[in-house]
Amino acid sequence: MNRRGFFRQAAGAGLVLGTGLPGLGRSLAAAGAAPNLSHVEARYYVKLPDREIECRLCPRLCRLGDKERGYCGVRENDGGTYYTLVYGKVCSLNIDPIEKKPFYHVLPGRTALSLATAGCNVNCKFCQNWEIAQVRPEQVEAYDLSPGDAAARAAAASCPSIAFTYTEPTVFFEYMVDTAAQARRRGVRSLVVTSGHINPEPLGELLGVVEAVKVDLKGFTQDFYTQYVRGELKPVLETIRAVAKSKAWLEIVALLIPTLNDRMDLIREMCRWIKGEAGEDVPVHFTRFQPMYLIKNLPPTPVSTLEAARRIGLEEGLRFVYVGNVPGHEGENTYCPGCGRVVIARTGYSVDTAGLKKGKCAACGTAIPGLWT
Amino acid sequence: MAKPRVVVVRSAKGWAAGGDPDPALITRMFARGFALLDGASDGKAAAAALFRPDDRIGIKVNTIGGRALSTRPEVATALAGWLAANGPAAKNLFVWDRTTRELKSAGFAPAADRNGVKVFGTDTEGVGYAEDLVSHLNVGSLFSKILTEFVTASISLAILKDHGLAGITAGMKNYFGAIHNPNKYHDGHCDPYVAEVFDAPPVKSRHRLTILDALVVQFHKGPAYHARWAAPYGGLVFSRDPVAADAVGWDIIERLRASAGLPTLKDEGRAPGYLATAERMGLGRADLAAVETVEEAVA
Repeated sequence: MNRRGFFRQAAGAGLVLGTGLPGLGRSLAAAGAAPNLSHVEARYYVKLPDREIECRLCPRLCRLGDKERGYCGVRENDGGTYYTLVYGKVCSLNIDPIEKKPFYHVLPGRTALSLATAGCNVNCKFCQNWEIAQVRPEQVEAYDLSPGDAAARAAAASCPSIAFTYTEPTVFFEYMVDTAAQARRRGVRSLVVTSGHINPEPLGELLGVVEAVKVDLKGFTQDFYTQYVRGELKPVLETIRAVAKSKAWLEIVALLIPTLNDRMDLIREMCRWIKGEAGEDVPVHFTRFQPMYLIKNLPPTPVSTLEAARRIGLEEGLRFVYVGNVPGHEGENTYCPGCGRVVIARTGYSVDTAGLKKGKCAACGTAIPGLWT
Repeated sequence: MAKPRVVVVRSAKGWAAGGDPDPALITRMFARGFALLDGASDGKAAAAALFRPDDRIGIKVNTIGGRALSTRPEVATALAGWLAANGPAAKNLFVWDRTTRELKSAGFAPAADRNGVKVFGTDTEGVGYAEDLVSHLNVGSLFSKILTEFVTASISLAILKDHGLAGITAGMKNYFGAIHNPNKYHDGHCDPYVAEVFDAPPVKSRHRLTILDALVVQFHKGPAYHARWAAPYGGLVFSRDPVAADAVGWDIIERLRASAGLPTLKDEGRAPGYLATAERMGLGRADLAAVETVEEAVA
């Protein structure tokens, strides 16, 4: 099936293409329909006396009585057995440029079949996809897409990768891992876009089946994580360390929000930590905030703030530091750390890789780290 | 300032032969509870003290616990019947929760008769959640259209039970069933979220009365049903003060726990701290010494 055929088939199936979001109106319109929930036993939990369970998937360690759901809203204790309600229940499915994730050092200019189920295990006040991330699975339309079908659709649409994105993939861990395994059999790579709130053991399993992970490092203080993320910083840092040590490619995104997490001394501290713990070759994206969800009273991040952060990253020895969400900005480009020439030019999602030859700078031959083929 | 009043009406014989609550007895308990609440001379005066004639009254039940541990349909039906007999029109009464599925599992029969009491969930076609996100203190939620558009006054007709995280589930936490994302508000023993959801305009502007279904009280290992720790308390708890009602509910649970030789919720590290938060926010009184508790038995 070609790409056009895929779009036609997906559209015929009622899948949501283009926007990436089902939109709240659509969700509300779905009220009355029988909820499309899975009943697949979850992994990474322990059974406790009196039909209670403790989830071990993420650092929250939700301890739940019968009929209760975890913080994510998509995993439920039913009679002392824990179930995922979103296995194969996709609420958003798109073919996206891989730069949208963003991955800048993974298959530039190619596409990723991008999918999500409902749910998230944090609650960022600046969530960009809250209509699907901060809801329960009954509140969005979901479509059945088995792991095998997802992998087949990616291959049929000539997508070299599947991206687990939009919401927090950790909450659909079982589906993600099974899909990634199916994708690998078909030569399709798997990419994860995550907040990093996952425990080491499931992360280890995940890293065995995916090729790249983008972690959102949303701030560099616990206070910020407490107030604006409803999560913990330490597990995120541990996740970054673990991904950096694994075979998976790592990129880091730091969304800078005016007055909340844009202190330059903390950004410098963050960059030092990244270089020390993950290495100088990890691409770091400083991206622009737009007023959203529960933070609508702050302006978009000034471009000058992003530029200052990028300068700090480069000063601290990180070799690939980007400005994000500012289409056409020179900070979108990948520059050769050897000769300084542009090896990958970007304007939004338009990509020119003429300066990159077999993973090296076409001008001076310096190796540029990444997954290029 | 006068102490807020909490009325506890109890009956040791609240059950019919089949094991379900006796509707006639429950109705008598409601009549007595309303009478004691404000000292009204009769039922119509009691209803008029709470509701305008044109109010559309939501009766928010808690049905997450299935048949064994939800607001009982017999209790909701008796309340609706008592209201309809004392002023508010039956067509203006809405018994509701977040899903029709949960209502059914708790034994409710969905109803949408134009002239009768309506029974349905937020997930009913054409209902859903209001599209405007309510951002209030630490809360960011969508509220059920039943609350925001269908009703003008609200009764929290909640089941009283132990809750592993919140300490207790009672009248205030019942409104977690009015929002789309209650799973986000269980950190910190649900504190300050229970108080803040209640304080959000869609709830606070409509709430008139708390009634706790304490016929059977799960006093340990809630919110799921465990027969071993479920006591036939046989009570209904009434108050205009939502905090005082829950505080009395907490006290009932503690007394049942003590009788069973269990440690206090505080000793277990899960005292319902949301009550003190709610009191600080001016939503009511959490200190039992500042509450007038009236208890009466009904035969």
